[in-house]
Amino acid sequence: MRQRSILHQLFVVLVLPLTLVTCKQGQPVPPEPELIGTLRVVIRPTWDGMPFHMNEVYHNVSDYRVKVEALKFYLGDVRFVDDGFFAAAKDVSYFDLQHDGDTVVWNNVPTGTWTSLRMGLGVPQALNDADPIVYPPGHPLSLALGTYWTWATAYRFVMFDGRYDLDGAGTGPVQQPFSMHTGVNVCYREFDLPLATPLVVNGTSTSTVVLELAVDRFFHSDGEVLDLATENQTHGNDPAHVVALKLTNNVINAFSAQ
Amino acid sequence: MRNGLILLILLSGLAACRKDPGLQVDDVDGPFLLELPVGAPPLPVPDANPLTKASVSLGKALFFDTRLSRDGSMSCASCHHTDRAFSDTLALSLGVNGSPGMRNAPTLANVAYHPGIFRDGGIPTLEAQVIAPVQDDLEMDHSLQAAAESLSVDEEYQRLSQLAYGRDLDPFVITRAIAAYERTLISGWSRFDRYLYQGQAQALTESERRGWDLFRSDALNCMACHNGFDLSDHSYQNIGQYLAYADPGRARITLDLADEGKFKVPTLRNIALTGPYMHDGAMATLDEVIDHFASGGQAHPNRSPLLTTFALNEQERADLLAFLHALTDERSIDQVP
Repeated sequence: MRQRSILHQLFVVLVLPLTLVTCKQGQPVPPEPELIGTLRVVIRPTWDGMPFHMNEVYHNVSDYRVKVEALKFYLGDVRFVDDGFFAAAKDVSYFDLQHDGDTVVWNNVPTGTWTSLRMGLGVPQALNDADPIVYPPGHPLSLALGTYWTWATAYRFVMFDGRYDLDGAGTGPVQQPFSMHTGVNVCYREFDLPLATPLVVNGTSTSTVVLELAVDRFFHSDGEVLDLATENQTHGNDPAHVVALKLTNNVINAFSAQ
Repeated sequence: MRNGLILLILLSGLAACRKDPGLQVDDVDGPFLLELPVGAPPLPVPDANPLTKASVSLGKALFFDTRLSRDGSMSCASCHHTDRAFSDTLALSLGVNGSPGMRNAPTLANVAYHPGIFRDGGIPTLEAQVIAPVQDDLEMDHSLQAAAESLSVDEEYQRLSQLAYGRDLDPFVITRAIAAYERTLISGWSRFDRYLYQGQAQALTESERRGWDLFRSDALNCMACHNGFDLSDHSYQNIGQYLAYADPGRARITLDLADEGKFKVPTLRNIALTGPYMHDGAMATLDEVIDHFASGGQAHPNRSPLLTTFALNEQERADLLAFLHALTDERSIDQVP
């Protein structure tokens, strides 16, 4: 009985993988994309479907008056996807929406026709745990950007700062500060972004992808509200990361791709 | 021989061209031979950042350079005073904006032996630590990159940087050099060291010896944490300083509530010089510290079980204080010329 069991295990370990290899060899292997494309990535923030402006007062889902003063974030480990095939496009990219949006150019991205993007909100762990001193000025992880949490030896992922007023009918200045910074590895979240029209990247011209970011959605998603009355600060020191994870989830759901 | 002569002449020429007379280091070739006190463990030095005359000289110069701060008003030494065993006299050091920092600036003595830097141990290396005070808006409030750019006009810095690290002065060099210098700040030159490690019984007075006996007694239990060469096991302990801590301490790093209010056990070397005491500098004198530990501290849920309560009579208190004063180094802990 025991000998039969061992033979069975040997079959599973040795013979079955051979079968799988044979099957795999019969499938067409997509050609490796060339890394010669150039992609312009445009982040276009909106509020309730309209163009968003920094330092302008809006009403959020809780009918609080909200003014965003700073919005910065990282996207990491970006991959182009088509029909189950993934091609690495960018290790990490930094966006600062201080001018009501941001545009970053990625060079040496894989050529092809792609139907969706997979990426992480934040800095991938391998980069987040590395020594930040090696990144020169101009690199998205350069210390000069001030995005590094020195006390935690890690990067902030999303920096969302501004002011709010619980009185939605108020007319005075919006004064109460909110400051929500996510940025430890547990807050790194991957997500998929289907593209409305396929993204064509070739080696001859610069392609463009526009990522819309609905800033109004930072305060709610999946029926859950991020309430500024009680959830207005997070700086990596909450053991449960309640606000940070909620904001992370909201930001991910705020993205859409044109 | 001829090449050597040319090099010598060339170096002399370069030296003559130096514009900054403030920094001039002549003996910069070869490894830096750090003198370790008797009883000191081998110095942990990362292979990637060896102690050389060039690296520690550069690090020392940078340590005292106010150009590392945004407005040029403060250097590392502004909060780590040489005559205070590289600690501060203020409970909370003031940054360039005049606002107090988050925690009391600790002594840098024997920091090379610390497994984690800062009172919460959140920074794994001395090299990484350098970034924090330079870029913290409550401290120097500068950008390391911008600081490097302003410092790199200094020809002597560039010369030392090339000698030490084979590259121009940049943030990488700044962090490595300052870390190398800090690694040389070794304390172990007190009368207590002569008594304990060199067998010089007369190095301590009778009162100090009685204090030492009290210190290592089960009743006081100081040595449960303040042990080893550095008189600290570098563990993280909640000493019941508060019932509710404004500063989460170690929990800030581990995000574990069981670590709330825990801070790294500080060295007691040069303790007479490094007040005010505790993570927030809340205790001004050693008497206050003794009172706190005699009380056993407040009943915080994370309070260390190693704490005991004890009572000292006047003579015992004087003896304990005398012993603590005997932990002061008799010579500078800075060996870099």
